[in-house]
Amino acid sequence: MENAIKKSKMKMSTQDAVWGYVFLSPWLLGLLLFTGGPIVASLILAFCDWDLITPAKFIGLGNFIKMFTDARFLNSMYNTFYYTLFSVPLGIIGSIAIALLMNQKWRSVRLLRTIYYLPSVTAGVASAIIWMWLLNPDFGLVNYGLSILGIQGPKWMADEVWAKPAIIIMSLWGVGGNMIIYLAGLQGIPRQLYEAAEIDGAGMFQKFQYVTLPMLTPVIFFNLIMSIVASFQIFTQVYVMTGGQGGPADSTLVMVLYIYQQAFKFHNMGYASAIAWVLFIIILVFTLLQFKFSGGWVHYEGELKK
Amino acid sequence: MAKKISFWESQRLQGRIASWILYVIAWAGALIFVIPLVWMISTSLKAPGEIFTNPPKWIPYSELKLDYKTKILAEHEGKIKIDKDADGTVRIDLGGYSHVIPAIAELQVKKKQMVNKGDVLATIPAKGKIRITENKDKTMLLRIVDPDGRSIKEYNITQDTRPVVKDGDMVTEGDKLADVMPQWSNYAKAWAPKALDETFTRYTINTLIITIMGIIGVLLSSTFVAYGFSRFKFPGRDPLFLVMVSTMMIPAQVTMIPMFILFKYLGWIDTFAPLIVPTFFGGGAFNIFLMRQFFMTIPYELDDAAKIDGCNYLQIFWTILLPLVKPAMATTAIFGFVYNWNDFMNPLIYLNSTSNYTLALGLQTFTTMYGTDYNLMMAASTIVLLPILLIFFFGQRFFIEGVATSGLKG
Repeated sequence: MENAIKKSKMKMSTQDAVWGYVFLSPWLLGLLLFTGGPIVASLILAFCDWDLITPAKFIGLGNFIKMFTDARFLNSMYNTFYYTLFSVPLGIIGSIAIALLMNQKWRSVRLLRTIYYLPSVTAGVASAIIWMWLLNPDFGLVNYGLSILGIQGPKWMADEVWAKPAIIIMSLWGVGGNMIIYLAGLQGIPRQLYEAAEIDGAGMFQKFQYVTLPMLTPVIFFNLIMSIVASFQIFTQVYVMTGGQGGPADSTLVMVLYIYQQAFKFHNMGYASAIAWVLFIIILVFTLLQFKFSGGWVHYEGELKK
Repeated sequence: MAKKISFWESQRLQGRIASWILYVIAWAGALIFVIPLVWMISTSLKAPGEIFTNPPKWIPYSELKLDYKTKILAEHEGKIKIDKDADGTVRIDLGGYSHVIPAIAELQVKKKQMVNKGDVLATIPAKGKIRITENKDKTMLLRIVDPDGRSIKEYNITQDTRPVVKDGDMVTEGDKLADVMPQWSNYAKAWAPKALDETFTRYTINTLIITIMGIIGVLLSSTFVAYGFSRFKFPGRDPLFLVMVSTMMIPAQVTMIPMFILFKYLGWIDTFAPLIVPTFFGGGAFNIFLMRQFFMTIPYELDDAAKIDGCNYLQIFWTILLPLVKPAMATTAIFGFVYNWNDFMNPLIYLNSTSNYTLALGLQTFTTMYGTDYNLMMAASTIVLLPILLIFFFGQRFFIEGVATSGLKG
């Protein structure tokens, strides 16, 4: 519909085209310099060996073959998948649950929304440092809380087994950002649907199952894609909490951290580019798979239909 | 059978009780979400002695008490024999070696007990005169001295600790010496850390330059480009729009290395240019997309009216449309602020010398130097977070609006 109005209002003229490209020019230039160019360069680099000093050497698939025998790379891939596998579902369930709570008509609900949303804007170095202190094995609040429940808390970032769960728990503190998106989605569900369900005698849980959840699936789909893309790119939290090492014993060495180490610590620009491409392809495959399977569970209502 | 409506069938009662339970859960969850920030501020105001306590202390206040006992140690191993003199002095005999214990001492051993060399036989509660002297760095040294002028115990007292004793006062074990007030001086210490070359003044200036220039770049170029995408029809527009949207999917890591090499050849490494200049070239696909969505909601009649009045496209863009997309620009500016303020990876790659560090980089360096001084680390974190928290409270509306627009109209 929008397009129809546009067509009638806009005359197709050369002048229009020229002006259109004038306004697009900053982005087109940026696309060339900072996106397209670098992508091509990165693809070429992925097949080269280059330490920034001696001339780059074409080595064919050498970098990709090297990955299969590089234990640290394989480990970084395992760690990244581990993190994604837990942080994404937990984050989605958590943010939907909070959004449902924040959709109630309580007087203090605005204050509650602020509190839940707040941590997501503090993401970065400072929040990683706060969590280093919260997860301190001996004097951290988390282990103190566990000790009240009679549980002996683990050593978290000092323990190979518990370092990854520690990062996942930390990531859940930021679910408020997605919560706001779900909340907007919840508020967009037409009231009539609930009223109709009530007439049909649906209870609280049935309304959730047959109205709320299906109506929310487009937002869940959008969030799922964005969350997976983001979680594959986790870097700052791990870098800060482990001093750039990904320790203990590489247990939090994630792919982006490994790319960073290869590129800027060991100056293996070619190998780092190759790993970046593997990461890109993983993200691409996951995104395409989701689009492929979205038809089965994502419900588009009326005008939202694509 | 259907006379009485059972509890589970009564919808209204059910709803009310459920709502109450959910309300309690919501607040319990909110408490968990806010505790880390409260804990950060609480820790940032603690004196070194107050940090590592179990159970944790929430209020950054404590009393400093004299808690020192002089220990009398066994010089040999053996079985304890105790003799008491008339004046109260105790003699402990250990296989022929005698230990004289003064009357004021508290015995820590029993008769016939076996002790090893070095075990504590008795303790003498500290008692002495207060001597307060000033250290070079404005802190004070509070000493307890015995009648011979020898120091029994020393306390380093920070600026924010108020002594309740005066020079020359007699104190004994258990007496209160000072009130340990919230340590606001931690913030001064964190702001200008002794172990680092730079202060947070430098980091703040750097971050402000990068953030403000970045926001200007994003606002100017994203509105400019979005205007092109939303107001003109020309061959290749829709494919280009698709290209733009799909660039959002490319992880930054793919372009990171060639960009680094490009900036290295341009001689821009260790300058702010790599962090600022790209924002003037479109300002990011996401922001263009957001702006375009806003432009689409503005009726074309406005453009046409302006055109009849003789405005050219640049004038229409600048004087008619820009004022109308102010709310969207505010949202973009706020998100840009948060993004630049928190950004860690780009400054980490492009900035080398500490005088060019941003707050995020400075804070990370700070933690590597002050790894166990959690009070100072939390003070530094609070310094870095405070502007974000302030922006958030004053610009809450824009955060929520921005998310709703980008997340749903997409």
